[in-house]
Amino acid sequence: MELRISAPLLASMGPLIFTLWVILGLMGTNVQGNSAEVSILGSGSSFIYPQMSIWIPKFTEEHPWVTLNYNPTGSGTGQKQFLSKLVDFAASDPPLTREVWLRYRGRVLQMPVVLGAVVITYNLPVEGQLQLDGRVLARIYRGEVRYWDDPLIRELNPTMKLPHREIVAVHRSDSSGTTNIFTFFLHKASPRDWPLDLVGKSVEWPVDSKGNGVGAKGNQGVTQVVMNTPYSLGYVELSYALENDLPMASVMNAEGNFVAPSTQSITEAARRAFSLLPKSPLDDFSLDLDTVVYAPGEGSYPLTSFVHLIFWTHYGEKAGAIREFVRFVNTEGQELIAEGYAPIPPELRLVNLKAVGLIKP
Amino acid sequence: MDVREVKERIFLALVVILSIAAVLPVFHVFLSVVWKGLGAIMEAGPSFLLDVPPAPNAGLGGIAPSLAGTLLLAVLSSLLGIPLSLFAAIFAVEFPDNPLAKGVRVLSKALLEIPSVVVGMLVYAILVVPMGRFSMLAGSLALAIMMIPYVTTYVEQALEGVPFTYREAGFALGLSRSKVVFEIMVGIARRGILTGMLIGFAKVLGETAPLLFTLGRDRYNVPLGPLDYGDSISLLIFDYAQTPYANMHQVAWGAALVLTVMFLIIFLISRKFTEEVFL
Repeated sequence: MELRISAPLLASMGPLIFTLWVILGLMGTNVQGNSAEVSILGSGSSFIYPQMSIWIPKFTEEHPWVTLNYNPTGSGTGQKQFLSKLVDFAASDPPLTREVWLRYRGRVLQMPVVLGAVVITYNLPVEGQLQLDGRVLARIYRGEVRYWDDPLIRELNPTMKLPHREIVAVHRSDSSGTTNIFTFFLHKASPRDWPLDLVGKSVEWPVDSKGNGVGAKGNQGVTQVVMNTPYSLGYVELSYALENDLPMASVMNAEGNFVAPSTQSITEAARRAFSLLPKSPLDDFSLDLDTVVYAPGEGSYPLTSFVHLIFWTHYGEKAGAIREFVRFVNTEGQELIAEGYAPIPPELRLVNLKAVGLIKP
Repeated sequence: MDVREVKERIFLALVVILSIAAVLPVFHVFLSVVWKGLGAIMEAGPSFLLDVPPAPNAGLGGIAPSLAGTLLLAVLSSLLGIPLSLFAAIFAVEFPDNPLAKGVRVLSKALLEIPSVVVGMLVYAILVVPMGRFSMLAGSLALAIMMIPYVTTYVEQALEGVPFTYREAGFALGLSRSKVVFEIMVGIARRGILTGMLIGFAKVLGETAPLLFTLGRDRYNVPLGPLDYGDSISLLIFDYAQTPYANMHQVAWGAALVLTVMFLIIFLISRKFTEEVFL
């Protein structure tokens, strides 16, 4: 009975408690603001998220005065949230475009911190590792090479018993950095078969109109389709192929060698690309994919890519923590690389570490 | 056998088969969550509820910050959302001819079907960007906005279900209008109202989209203050399911089971309310 009489009062308590929580919380934060606690938030690439979830606990264990978090929102969103100062740093598969970099020139720092690789995986009941080059891959995705025993494929794999079966070419249906790297490789390796207007995060696949193409969402989706579709072929990030024990083709690089994806061959591509890379985190990185995809060098894996971290030069009271994080990522962080990623070469770490001196309060 | 009997049997068989076909996917989802989730939780042990999530290929860890975040967010958004819905519904039912009340009715029904990501973007634009940070405050406000149309609609329906004669009886006894509303109407409809509140609470427990751009996803610390970054179980599942790593998939399955158990508990409580017969 008593409860019913006070029902409106009781109900009003809810918003009151909520408001109290907000007020007390705001006051509490002001008091905490004087302590040494620093909170850093990053946002961006979902590809680098597993790597971040190795780095973050290790970094905060060594720097208990810092809380560090990362939101896998996608590279584009990460850049936007960073530029509008909603987050402290961004992680992005592509670097800032030249226009954006020019607008923030001198205030923004970029660095490739980890390497990824796109691998060609396939579902074929045949012994041995498939060897492919950009020309054949381009023609498969154009729908011109339609059968596994096509003379072009047999020429590259003389010892394999290839069946007379149609190739199901699997590709991403969503917009993706993986597609960008794959199509960019096709263009660089075989520009006549794969023109520049077929390069991008999502493209009109010519093979679809021939009826042999299949789209799937995400790396996870392409992995599942290839695993469940005999005689299919697709491209995914290395980590997905490794985790699912999928076969991976050796791909012909710029020097004409067939190279399988491995930590060594991926880091080698970045090492050979190094001489063409900017020599300061303050520089324009917008063309760095061009240096590392189809990179020179005998042992370079041709479908290699960077993931970048993007920072400001000025951070106020957070500067110390950010500096420590940059130092960590480019020193011991490189010894803690997740399966499916590769560390950056030592000379690149030295360039990145210049950022430590450039980050000011 | 008569043709009509045959027809009836065929029809019956068809109905049974179609009902099974309709329910089967739900059961399949439920059973896979229980099966795979239980496997993960058994392997991780009680620390699944107390530990922080793992790195790739490094054990199972736990979901403590996300679990705490989900519960805190649901409680906070209910503190704000339920009373507002309650008053809005009473207003709408009590003053049906008031233009504002008509607006409340139309809006609460229209907003039922609003894509939840729109609510997230709204709070992002009006709170997160001006404040310059993600926060528990933004997350709980987004969830409160999500929950208000649901609870309002349920409470409205519960109040409308009270026969008019009870109201007349109340006035005949000389009760004031507020006493009629809060003691007779709310009293009689209380089971429906409580069910509506619980459904609103359950609704926000599982929401993902309103939190994507509001919460900040701190997966390593338990949130307390309004400006803290927070996490929720739904966001954890969303992120971990997309990684290639088997151990992170397992954590996502375990987290899905924890969320399912929370739903079941709420479902059972609301069943209890609807079954009980007072008066």
